[in-house]
Amino acid sequence: MTLVPKRLLELRDRTAIAGIGYTPFTKDSGVSTLTLACRAVLAALEDAGLTPDDVDGLATHRVGDSAAPSLVAPALGLDVTWHLDQFGGGSVSHAVVGQAALAVAAGVADTVVCYRAINARSEFRMGGTGRGVPVSPEVQYQAPYGLVAPAQHFALYARAHMLRYGTRPEHFGHLAVTQRANAVKNPRALMRTPITLDDYLASRWIAEPFRLLDCCLETDGACAVVVTTAERARALRRPRVLISAAAWGGGTSHLSCDDPTVTGAAALAPRLYAQAGLGPGDIDVAELYDCFTYSVIVQLEDYGFCPKGEGGPYAASGAIGPGGELPVNTHGGFLSEGYVHGLNHVAEAVSQLRGEAGDRQVPGAEVALSTAQPGYILPATSALILRRA
Amino acid sequence: MTLAYPPQPDRDSAPWWARAGRREFAVQECDSCGTLRFPPRAFCAACRREAWHWRRIAPEGTVESWIVNHQPFVPGRRDPYLVVMARLTAVPGCLVHGNWRAARPPKHLEPVVAVFTEVEAEVTLVDWTPADV
Ligand SMILES: [Zn+2]
Repeated sequence: MTLVPKRLLELRDRTAIAGIGYTPFTKDSGVSTLTLACRAVLAALEDAGLTPDDVDGLATHRVGDSAAPSLVAPALGLDVTWHLDQFGGGSVSHAVVGQAALAVAAGVADTVVCYRAINARSEFRMGGTGRGVPVSPEVQYQAPYGLVAPAQHFALYARAHMLRYGTRPEHFGHLAVTQRANAVKNPRALMRTPITLDDYLASRWIAEPFRLLDCCLETDGACAVVVTTAERARALRRPRVLISAAAWGGGTSHLSCDDPTVTGAAALAPRLYAQAGLGPGDIDVAELYDCFTYSVIVQLEDYGFCPKGEGGPYAASGAIGPGGELPVNTHGGFLSEGYVHGLNHVAEAVSQLRGEAGDRQVPGAEVALSTAQPGYILPATSALILRRA
Repeated sequence: MTLAYPPQPDRDSAPWWARAGRREFAVQECDSCGTLRFPPRAFCAACRREAWHWRRIAPEGTVESWIVNHQPFVPGRRDPYLVVMARLTAVPGCLVHGNWRAARPPKHLEPVVAVFTEVEAEVTLVDWTPADV
């Protein structure tokens, strides 16, 4: 089997993200996820210079917590002929955009709005505090032991990495501090007070080795992006951001996770780069799924930015900060901007490639990597490589 | 002790939990290719065939990782508790979870053995303790 089917290579740069939209990020939106979804969809269309009448596709991912496309479409009076209601957590966030790109490239739809609307603090606490356990077969071997929350699973993976490679709390802390410094420059971010490494080390335990500042925010908010053909985007008002690659999957990893220090991203990355015809050295800015600090460390390795085991020292070297060789999570990420389950990473990548990221702009950014939950707990993940036209 | 989240056996796993209740640690062995697997499920991922039988294995492993939980994720469970991730010796690539049954913390890669505990009627959990205790 070839790494990437020829037909997929032909789709490189054929589709584009033509608009992005947000609602404010808060800890209590005071409105329904349906309302959040509608607001973000309209904001993204406004940004693209399109109207609701231009929309013929809607896509989202959710875990039973949010408004489906079949609800959002009639709520906004949209005549939708293609939709995707993807069940799944953060690992599918970027697959949704990739599927929309396929639909557009196939001519099944012209203009698809992908959205994620979430009341992850005020209604459905995504972090797992104060709600029941997920319904999935593997949970029966975990929940009886008090292993129920994503923070706990990732803490197990993080300690495995620490034990095997010598990764240290200070490495995680450096990442949290860097992302907070980025958020200070982002008017949209929920957390805009700078923190120090001492603040990180003093924050309370959640599940050792994770402290509070290892964990992402639980956020109410929504985000949307407009996917259309590259050709159509040319006529629209925003700078074009092309979808160079969209990949999902995670290899044939064991159901019971044979290596806790490697994610599905290690299997995905070669296909993703081959689709784009690029490599890690071509990435100017990376928005890496940061449900926890460690998630970024392991992706720096699995997406090929440093050798396995060296993600911690690489992160602490300054390479991922402003002016570094690979600025990461320039918006502050889920740790400090807010948690919209993957889609706010896509939108930030678009802002960077348009050169519209304000004080946090990476100078001359031409190629961005944006990733989903890297394929822990279950191996599948997804990611996008975007390029300024 | 009443568990907030007791095991919810399904049609794949019910026989496994019944065996655990008899203090037996069993995994599935593929009839076709001999691959061992856990957790229980119908198909062998190696040869994609269904036929299998239970194989009783030594309930032994090594410590791969652990956490000390502080956040009240589980209703009624507020004291810090330790969850260990162990690698089963008999099943390549297989990691399992359980609570830690020792006064001291685990050590990386140390040998451990399973501890079967009937926490309530008809519910037996599999925890882990150092092999040298
Ligand atoms: Zn087999």
